[in-house]
Amino acid sequence: MHELTAILNDIRPGQDFSKAKNFFDQGMLDSLDLTTLVSALEARFGVFIDVDEMVVENFCSLSAIESILTRKGIKV
Amino acid sequence: MTDIRTESNARRVLLVGDTTLDPLARMLDKGSDAPRLQTFAAPYGQVYQILLDANHSAWSVRPETLVVWTVPHLTLPSVKKLLLCNFASAPEEYDAALREAEQFGEAVVAASERVCQVLVPTWVLPTHERWIQTLTWRHGVGVSNLLAKANLLLADKFAAIENIVLLDAAYWHASLERPAYDPRMYAVAKILYSPQLFEKAAAEIKAVLRGTLGLAKKVIVCDLDNTLWGGVVGDDGAQNLKLGAPDPLGECFVAFQTALKAFRSRGILLTICSKNDESLALSTIEEHPAMILRKNDFVAWRINWKDKAENLLNLAEELNLGLESFVFLDDSPQERDQVRQILPQVYVPDMPASPSLFAPFLTTLNCFETQGVGKEDLERTAMYQAERGRKEALDLSGDVDNWLGSLQIEVRAAPLRRESLVRATQLLNKTNQFNLSLRRLDESAFWNWSAEPNHSAYTFNVTDRFGDFGLVGLASFAVTGSEARIVDFVMSCRVMGKKVEEALLGYTVNSARAVGAEQVMASPVEGPRNQPARSFFASKFSNPDVASIDPIRVLIPPQITMKEES
Repeated sequence: MHELTAILNDIRPGQDFSKAKNFFDQGMLDSLDLTTLVSALEARFGVFIDVDEMVVENFCSLSAIESILTRKGIKV
Repeated sequence: MTDIRTESNARRVLLVGDTTLDPLARMLDKGSDAPRLQTFAAPYGQVYQILLDANHSAWSVRPETLVVWTVPHLTLPSVKKLLLCNFASAPEEYDAALREAEQFGEAVVAASERVCQVLVPTWVLPTHERWIQTLTWRHGVGVSNLLAKANLLLADKFAAIENIVLLDAAYWHASLERPAYDPRMYAVAKILYSPQLFEKAAAEIKAVLRGTLGLAKKVIVCDLDNTLWGGVVGDDGAQNLKLGAPDPLGECFVAFQTALKAFRSRGILLTICSKNDESLALSTIEEHPAMILRKNDFVAWRINWKDKAENLLNLAEELNLGLESFVFLDDSPQERDQVRQILPQVYVPDMPASPSLFAPFLTTLNCFETQGVGKEDLERTAMYQAERGRKEALDLSGDVDNWLGSLQIEVRAAPLRRESLVRATQLLNKTNQFNLSLRRLDESAFWNWSAEPNHSAYTFNVTDRFGDFGLVGLASFAVTGSEARIVDFVMSCRVMGKKVEEALLGYTVNSARAVGAEQVMASPVEGPRNQPARSFFASKFSNPDVASIDPIRVLIPPQITMKEES
C-alpha cells in the first residue's frame, strides 16, 4: 500500500491518498492523472491495463487499485 | 514580444500540437533542474488556428517559448491519404503533402513573431503507421522519402529566421529503450506518446532552453586513471595502460577521448583533476601513441595528491569561472560523492560502470546546448592558453603598470552589428561579474532595442601582444534630452585586471557626449555576483546618492590604444 501512495504522491504531491473514498470525485486526481497513474503502475508492476479497463472505477481509491492489481496477479 | 526576463521568473512555454501534450507540460514544469518553466498545453487539434490567429485565446498566457509538435499524418492531410496505399493517387498526394508542409512552415514563421523562440520537433511517423518497406523511399511516392523532404523543407524555410529551432525528434524516438508510442493512451485521451518519450522530449527541450538562457556548462573536469584510459598509470606504467586498439577496452577509452575532443572543438574547456604524479601523467598524455587528447587540448590541470574538491576550487579560480559552469567526470563513486557533497554547484553525473558506455554517456549530458557556435567558441581553448602566457609575463615583469604597458593592449570599438550580435548577446547573457544591469535579452530583443532612435550599443574587441581576446565588452546607453543613461555595461572576466573597463567607460562616456548628452548616469543593479561592476561604477560617482558619472574620474589608460570602427 505504501508503494501505491508513493506513486500517487509522485503524481500529485501533498495530498493524503490513504483515507480518500474516491480520488476523482474529491478532485484529487483528474482524467489526465489517470493516464499517468496507469503508466506508473504498469512500469512498476509490469502489468498491462487495457483500454476498457482504464476507467475511473478501477483507480478511484487504494482498494480499487489493489483489486485490479490482484486480478492481474500482483499483491501490493 | 517579451523584453526583460530575469532568472527568478519562470519562462512561459506554450505547447501546440495535434495530440494531447499535457503530460509534457507537467514534466517540463516538474523538473528541479534549471530553467524554471511555466508550461501551458493549448487544446489539441488547433494548430493552424493558433499559429495564424494572434487573437486566439491560447496566446493569452503570453508565452516566451512556443513548441509546435505535430504528427505528419494528422497535420498534413495528404500524408494521411498516402498512408492508405492508393498507389494510383500516390504521386499527387506526395506533391500535395509537400505543399502542405510549406503552408505549415509559413504558419510557424507567422507565429514566430509573437514569441522569443519557437521549437519545432521534426516530423516522425509513428512506427505503427509504417509503409511498404520496398517503396517507402521511392522518390515521388514513398512516405519516408516524403517526410525527409518535408523536414528539409522546414529546415530551409527556417534557416533565415533566427528564433526558430528545429529539434531532432527522430533522435528522441531512436534513443528510447521502451516504446515511444502508446496506442491505448491515444484511444483513451489522444495522448500519442509514451511517458518515456515525453520525458526525453522534456529533457531535450529544457537543455535547449538552458543554452538560450546562457546556463550551459563551460568546463569539463576529467579524472585520468580508468576515466581517460584503462588502468592506473602510477602502478601499471604507461605501456600497460588499456588505450587504443586492438584491446576492446582500449578502444572504448579512445572513443571516449574522441567524444571529449569534439566538445573541446566547439568551445567547451577541458581540464584534468587527477591523483597522480604530475610529470608521469603529463608525459603519458604527450607520449602515449594512442592518446587522442594531448596536453594542448587541456586549458588547466591539477595533478597532485590533494583533495579533488580543493583542486576544483583552485581550477575555478584559475579559470575565473563559477563552479556552476563545471562538470566533473570521474569513474570513482567515492570521489564523485565527495565532490557532490562539498561542491553542490558542480554537476557530477554518475558515469556508467562500463567504459564501453562512456562515449555514448557523454552525448546524453544535456548541459552543453548553446544558441550558436561562433568563432569565439571555436577558439576558446587557445584563448585560455594565451592567458597562461600573460600570467607568466606578469610574474616576470613584477610591476603592474610596466606589465600593462608591455601587453600592448588594443581595444577596437564598433557599433553593434548583425555580425557581432550572436557573440554580443552571448556575452550579455552569460556575464555575471562585470555586468552593470544584468539585463538578459535574446538576440532579436537586443537588436530591436539597439535599433531605436535614442539608443546606442557598442561592442569592444580586445587584443594584446599575446593574442586576441575577441569580443569581450558591450556598452549601451539611452539618451533623453541632455541626459544619457548607461543601460548595459558588460565585460568578460577574461580581461579583468587590465584596466580595460576604464577604456570601455571612457569610450562610452565620450560617445554619449558626442550625441549631445551633458550628464551620463548609470544605475547599477544589485545581483549576487556583480560586485566588481558595482564597485567600479561606485568609484566613478562624485556623489554616491546621485548616480552621475564624474568626468574627472574617467580616463582611457595611456597604456591602452583605443581604435574606433564606424
